[in-house]
Amino acid sequence: MLALQILIDGFAISTLFALGALGFTLIFGVSGVLNLAHGGLLVIAAMIAWYVGTSLGYGADWGALAGLAACVAAALLTYLGVVRPIERSRAIPARERELFVLTATLLWGVMIEEALSYAFTNSPVTVKPLIGGTIDLFGVSTPINELLIAAIAWLAMGGLWLLVNRTRIGKRLLAASINPRGLTLLGFELGTIYLIVWLVYGALAGIAGVLLGSFLGSGSGYIPGLTGSAFTIVVLGGLGSVSGTLIAAYIVGYIETVTAYLISPSLRDVPALILLVVVLYVRPQGLLGRR
Amino acid sequence: MLAGILVLLALLPLGANGYILGVLTTAFYFAVFAMSWDLLFGYAGEVNFGPTFLIGLGAYGAGMANALLHAPVPLAILIGAAAAVAGGVALAIPALRLSGPYLGLITLVAVLLLQQAIVIFAGVTGGEIGLSVPDVLSIDSGPNYEYALAFMAASGLVLTVIARSSLGMILQAAGQDRIAAAALGFNVTKHKIMAFAVSALFSGLAGAFLVFYLGTASVSAVVDIAIGVRVIIAAVLGGRRTIIGGAIGAIFLIVAGELLRPIGQLSTFVVALIALTVIVLFPDGLLGLLPARRGS
Amino acid sequence: MSKKGRLAVIAGGIALGVLPMAFAHAAKPIKIGITAELGTIPGKAIANGAILAADQINAKGGVNGRKIKLIIEDDHLSTTDAIRSFQRMVKQDHAVAVVGTFVSEVALALEPWAARLHEPYLITGAAANELSEYVHADYKQRQYIFHAYLPAAYLAQAVCDASKQTLVDQFHMKTAVVMSEDAAWTKPLDAGYDKCLPKVGLKVLDNIRFAPNTSDFTPIYQKIESLHPNVIIAGWAHVGVQPTVQWAEQKVPIALAGINAQAGSSVFWKATNGATEGVITGSTSAPGVAITPKTLPFTDAYQKKFGISPAYTGYSTYDAIYALADAIGRAKSTKPLAIVDALDKTNMIGTQGRLVFQGPKSKFTHALKYGPKYVTGVAFQWQKGVQKCIWPLNLANAKPVFPSFVKLPAKS
Repeated sequence: MLALQILIDGFAISTLFALGALGFTLIFGVSGVLNLAHGGLLVIAAMIAWYVGTSLGYGADWGALAGLAACVAAALLTYLGVVRPIERSRAIPARERELFVLTATLLWGVMIEEALSYAFTNSPVTVKPLIGGTIDLFGVSTPINELLIAAIAWLAMGGLWLLVNRTRIGKRLLAASINPRGLTLLGFELGTIYLIVWLVYGALAGIAGVLLGSFLGSGSGYIPGLTGSAFTIVVLGGLGSVSGTLIAAYIVGYIETVTAYLISPSLRDVPALILLVVVLYVRPQGLLGRR
Repeated sequence: MLAGILVLLALLPLGANGYILGVLTTAFYFAVFAMSWDLLFGYAGEVNFGPTFLIGLGAYGAGMANALLHAPVPLAILIGAAAAVAGGVALAIPALRLSGPYLGLITLVAVLLLQQAIVIFAGVTGGEIGLSVPDVLSIDSGPNYEYALAFMAASGLVLTVIARSSLGMILQAAGQDRIAAAALGFNVTKHKIMAFAVSALFSGLAGAFLVFYLGTASVSAVVDIAIGVRVIIAAVLGGRRTIIGGAIGAIFLIVAGELLRPIGQLSTFVVALIALTVIVLFPDGLLGLLPARRGS
Repeated sequence: MSKKGRLAVIAGGIALGVLPMAFAHAAKPIKIGITAELGTIPGKAIANGAILAADQINAKGGVNGRKIKLIIEDDHLSTTDAIRSFQRMVKQDHAVAVVGTFVSEVALALEPWAARLHEPYLITGAAANELSEYVHADYKQRQYIFHAYLPAAYLAQAVCDASKQTLVDQFHMKTAVVMSEDAAWTKPLDAGYDKCLPKVGLKVLDNIRFAPNTSDFTPIYQKIESLHPNVIIAGWAHVGVQPTVQWAEQKVPIALAGINAQAGSSVFWKATNGATEGVITGSTSAPGVAITPKTLPFTDAYQKKFGISPAYTGYSTYDAIYALADAIGRAKSTKPLAIVDALDKTNMIGTQGRLVFQGPKSKFTHALKYGPKYVTGVAFQWQKGVQKCIWPLNLANAKPVFPSFVKLPAKS
């Protein structure tokens, strides 16, 4: 019974972790950008979804759509306003671009946090679930929302896989991630490719943000934690590796759940942190990372 | 010119009031945080996201030595600095194997674990409500200001000398191409550990001083990741690989925050916006904007 | 601030479209510093409560013919910022007293400075026992500090007293599980719960503490369900929305009571999409409940001025400003020790009850007195989107009603 409990509960939380980290790893894989404002984008999606859906009263569906749209817009703004100017700047040596992107997105994340706290205060809210109620799953009472979240998350991840592996745009994305210079020579506009990736990223982060907000709640104070856990999972799985991210998300999700169930809820995140240190020590490129 | 500015700053208590001195005192300690960080990042190329791991060790080491062991302030500060150096060496070990974002994450985790440890051992650390220390440097702003200024000037001098010495050169070489540096016969391992130890020493000292200025050690003041973020932003904003840029960035951030107080809650937002603009448009930071450096 | 500095600030303020407050007054105003966390609901209520009290006092002619002028500063939840701003308010602005903060960490960091600088300081929201124990430990040095709110030990006592007269007497509940966030303020709270709950007839089956950054509460609820208690006694302030929503979503068949600080806010219904239906929490007040003749006029005026209902810190800060003004009026002086002596003799009706500060012999020196004749707070329950008072019984405007998924003990 307890084992089943852990299995179901861990699955839900892990799936959310995976979805939340997916966009983060995608954007790194294709354009080499570590977006430390990632948590900010997730929370923008959730707060707007709550504001439109609950506060203004338009209902869960419109709220979710509005949150998604806001997140895509914010992702585009992140790219056009913060990341692209750095990538195109002649004054920044290529070797140091990574750190400049890190610092700049970090600052951008702080700005998002402050702006959200100003607009909505920092007290957390929950996004209205698309479907309420619970269902009995092998004797474990499980909220339907949890199953829905898992389903949407897997649909989104499947969609991403199809996009990358089965469409023309996807093939260009793949090519861009492997050899950006070669792609320009072939006449593809690298800028357009990056723009598309950021759009896809915005959509993924938007879905993740709204779903996270309906399961875990959201608020400006969540931003550093969300960025941190996405960062952790992605590095643990291997930067840029989508399958590594998925595996790492499930490992971290289950370790946290098992710790909370069997040891103590107050030590929930400690074992995962220690595991991370150990893995990076033994295998610095992460579980499935390339060096 | 620098000496002139320092003399001017040293004479400031004659004319300025306690409030300005108070703001600058905090800013000076932050300046040392940022300069120490720049030694690791700017010269050695180590992405250290956890400056507050070192700062926190120094601060809590000193605070606990004073509050629990009743060590006098100077001794407590040394104990804090020793704790920070031990932490710095411990961080150097993963840094020998990892680089870039991977090291960044390890240093971030170090901060989180330190934070957890402080909360778990609340009995001796004061936990999340913090630790009051019985002694302070001074309750008057004048002496506090002079201590901080002297400490910042001395730290800046030592760090600059180290950075421009052979150690700095080797670190820079190793940061760009480790294998080549090793092939030239430099003991990269030894130098990297040295760099971490020096950076930790000054971070820890500054953390310890800050505790005896504030009269309290708390997670939100010396360990929280947000503080580390401010240190990094200060160093990059001021101008990386310059040491003194860190000081300029830190002082700028804190003074700007104070000047923007009238706009209340949004002041942090505006400061972040200014910093972002500078970083994107002028990557060499505030120091790069000075006309004197333009030519060089 | 130097003239030049001030000019720069003013210029900056105008450039940003924020006009500085008027700074010339005929009679020298009495300055009171407010330190608050303006980005948070309780922090904002500290500032609002103080503004409302000062406006009302000034409208009636001020104190001893002098107006009150507030200096409100945002400490951003940071001890460093708070200490700097405290020093500035004392040394630069010559504030005669400082009021505020609901964060124990910030309050504890400010206390030594209040003692060193001999500055009367009234804490209006933080609840750690340590705050008043600190005063007790060295009264002569630290008498400047007043904890104008209840220490956590009394908050626990209030929950026990309320549970006795509602859950035990009306619903025959016999067992409880304590579920608190792992934070400084809940340690004395849990110690208080463990001591007083059995005395009122609720056996404590377990005491579960969880990390304040916990995102998924399912494991905790599962564990609690397996113990089959009648009620969960909460100790929550950092968390609130999330455990409440999961309690409702997973239909945990156990009543939820105790202290759920975020549920005290009127926006909690929307923040949880109504999941808070049936949740009971201890609080300072509930809408429409006249604890004293001052309570309702205060909430009405607050609602009118700020458009929202006050958080608990709104009441305590409003009362603290009145107590301070009253003390200064009686002392006819703004010297620190004169104010402290007058505050020691405070005996007035506030919005929360009768305000009396405890003497140096009490363990909780300079904390508010707790009890039916003094301050007890209330317990209320969310019922159909409204906070209904269920305790003290003489003030109650509703009986507790639990959601259908909560299993109540059979009436014996």
